[in-house]
Amino acid sequence: MEISVEVNGATHTSDVEPRTLLVHYIRDVVGLTGTNVGCDTSSCGACTIHVNGEAVKSCTMLAVQADGQSLTTIEGLANGDQMHPMQEAFMECHALQCGYCTPGMVMASISLLDENPNPTEAEVREGLEGNLCRCTGYHNIVKAVLSAAGGAK
Amino acid sequence: MSALGQSLPRPDARDKVTGDARYPGDRFPPDVLFAFIVFTDQPHARITRLDTAAAEAAEGVVAVVTAADVPVNEYGLTMFDQPVLIGPTSSGRSAVPHDVSRWEADHLAVVIAETEEQARSAAALIESDWEALPLVADIDAALADGAPLVHPEHPAQSNAYHHLVITKGDVATAFERADVVIEGTYELPYQEHAYLQPEAGVAYVDEEGRITVEVAGQWTHEDQEQIAHALDLDLDAVRVIYPPIGGAFGGREDMSLQIVLALAVRKLNERGIDRPVRSQWSREESIVGHHKRHRGRVHTRWAATKDGVLLGVEATSHLDAGSYNYTSNKVLGNLHLTVAGPYEVPNAQLDSYAVYTNAVPGGAFRGFGGPQGCFVSETQMNRLAAALHLDPVEVRRRNVLGEGSIGITSTPLPAGVSLPEVIEECAIEADWEAPPRPPAAIGAFASLPPTTEASRRGRGFACAYKNIGFSFGFPERSVADIVLHGSDDADARPTSAELYLAGADVGQGAHLAFLQMAAEATGLDVEAITPGFSDTATSGDSGSASASRLSWMTGNAILGAAEEAEKAWRDGDRPARGHFRYTPPPTEMLDPDGRTPTTPNFAYGYVAEAVDLSVDVETGHIVVHDVVCAIDVGRIINPQQVTGQIEGAVIQAHGYCLSENLVVIDGRVMNPRFSGYLIPGIGDIPEQVRSVMLEIPDPRGPFGVRGMAEMPLMPYAPAIVGALYDATGVWFDSFPLTPPRVRAVLRAAGVGAS
Repeated sequence: MEISVEVNGATHTSDVEPRTLLVHYIRDVVGLTGTNVGCDTSSCGACTIHVNGEAVKSCTMLAVQADGQSLTTIEGLANGDQMHPMQEAFMECHALQCGYCTPGMVMASISLLDENPNPTEAEVREGLEGNLCRCTGYHNIVKAVLSAAGGAK
Repeated sequence: MSALGQSLPRPDARDKVTGDARYPGDRFPPDVLFAFIVFTDQPHARITRLDTAAAEAAEGVVAVVTAADVPVNEYGLTMFDQPVLIGPTSSGRSAVPHDVSRWEADHLAVVIAETEEQARSAAALIESDWEALPLVADIDAALADGAPLVHPEHPAQSNAYHHLVITKGDVATAFERADVVIEGTYELPYQEHAYLQPEAGVAYVDEEGRITVEVAGQWTHEDQEQIAHALDLDLDAVRVIYPPIGGAFGGREDMSLQIVLALAVRKLNERGIDRPVRSQWSREESIVGHHKRHRGRVHTRWAATKDGVLLGVEATSHLDAGSYNYTSNKVLGNLHLTVAGPYEVPNAQLDSYAVYTNAVPGGAFRGFGGPQGCFVSETQMNRLAAALHLDPVEVRRRNVLGEGSIGITSTPLPAGVSLPEVIEECAIEADWEAPPRPPAAIGAFASLPPTTEASRRGRGFACAYKNIGFSFGFPERSVADIVLHGSDDADARPTSAELYLAGADVGQGAHLAFLQMAAEATGLDVEAITPGFSDTATSGDSGSASASRLSWMTGNAILGAAEEAEKAWRDGDRPARGHFRYTPPPTEMLDPDGRTPTTPNFAYGYVAEAVDLSVDVETGHIVVHDVVCAIDVGRIINPQQVTGQIEGAVIQAHGYCLSENLVVIDGRVMNPRFSGYLIPGIGDIPEQVRSVMLEIPDPRGPFGVRGMAEMPLMPYAPAIVGALYDATGVWFDSFPLTPPRVRAVLRAAGVGAS
């Protein structure tokens, strides 16, 4: 099937098989490898992207469902050298170690603040329940999100 | 200003937050082929026929690699007991029969095709016939009379193939004199590493003709050696490069894709095909296909006086090594040294066994046998305290190893024993003397309001020691190279440097630690140092990213290289080169009866933890309110990163203790997905984790540094079990403490509704 998808502001038109997952389309067809695959069961959230501005695990959608939609991946956040405040906050707060969960975590965190610009610590924890990290123990991730929320005020 | 003690930003952080980091699975060189690794799917069977003709003829298939293509069909980190590929015929030498599959994830073939999909569909066309062999499911089956041997070729002629002993003093008399004896049998569970990046890699022939493998591992030079051995090549014909690595925790210490990817390139080469090959495992393949923290069982008896002073320890320990040794013999050594605890034990009889079965291999995982030993020793110590109505901290004061103490192997510990101070700091920070807190309102389910009705609150304490670096005479070394640049002027100081080290940054931030130590050693800013890391073509052997050794060992190598470079600089060399191979003080292997005084290690790290939790005695759900981890890190290189290691290790321990339940039945992993194997999510973790870092220098550590990355994982599970006892009056001798298990044990003890 031919689909036309806006990815990070650029339109991509490609022929994909109907069963292709959106994450595989992003990685293999568009060639953006910042969106990671960590599991086979939609458990880990490493592949979280934004579809029309909302966080979605890109392994839970088919590529054909993204036809005509607008996607943002981790590569689309920075404006040249100017990083998104959430990216800055993850760096500042040491909210990453191996970094494999980081793109998904950052995308989910931005979506969280879009919905709730001033979350409590408990609300941050609740909002990131769909994303797994094996390295950090999560505490610095919570700090990063709270710090980005503070910085946005 | 010193480069140490500062939370400098990680050099890889920008790439990791922008998606620019290229992990092994993100590498798609032009013209790349896909290699699919076919597992045997046979926990114990002999192969009688293998036919790959249909697979080779399938669309898109370029080649199929089988055992017949392996020059030396054996590998293993400490013993060559595993074939690279299982097959009825093999072209080469092997210390282990190549026609027997002993593990469901033994490798049968590598299908190389244009696309992953073609490789996977062609793999289904491989035909094989198998003759079933009797299955050795677990430790009990392996030790039963007349049990079939998993490795009949092993000289031990027993599934219990590796046995360590410690005999100290006169343990029989110690038990006769005892006022109190604490006896327990502990069942220790598997743990899966669950690094977020599943195994992946790419291999090709580089511009100098070397078979080159880019993969996530923990020890570049060991990977190089294992590949060269199996392919029967000189070391310098093989190159290993580590791209950004998505976590490891011990799970990448052994080979996964390394040798098979190299074999794939070799086979293509023989056919005149010069194309790169990539491979990528799914999560399921990762969990089925690599080793685990060992499951095991320990039976132990502790003898003590009525004042809580230890007189003697007896312990018999078994670890399920699974189908191949991996590092089981070494992991067993760490269990052996920790099972009697970080205490003065005048009399001991310890017997520890590694046992072959047809289950998934046991191997390295953060703590390396220490968490198992520590669970036993600390639960025993907490039970001793309870039996004598002593405070858990006080009973430790009466027994803990201190400066000049004689350790379990009858020699003094290396200087700088700081566990007494660590225990006191932990107790202070946890406000251990404070009265018990009231039960907290908790709820098992978010949809129901929290209540205090069934909530019971308790606190627990535990401590640990763990070796830094390889033990028991294993050859330890670390190589560093530094090149200083600057003006030819005789009085000038260097203005920049190059630093070459192979040590793996598996996510822990080792590369930044190297840079900070090199800056401190050369007097340059971190920004003035250009790194060359994790490539066997440019770096000497740094050894493994394991055993909490990397900062300690490479720091000493960096200090040596900086000194050599400085000498050359003063002699007028421009650039001035310093090469240094650091070797730590030698260690020794135990003798067969374990009675001769032995120095197994050259350095240790020390840790203590206090936890505060509530448990719902009706549902068995546990909420951890507070964790205090006190650890002596010797000298802080980077505070933010050290805290990150503590918090990460505590949360891995939280999963190990509470939720991670890997089920292995009859040689098969039953829940190889994140949907069934539950690592902690952000909603599961303790409400707070407080890190207390002591800086009592290790006299042998670089700048006083101690290794620290494994230690915080060790005391957590026994501290939780101690807190559960404090809350409910019931002891747990097995885990993970999932709600059904907690509820069942409490019910059996008469706690909660009947």
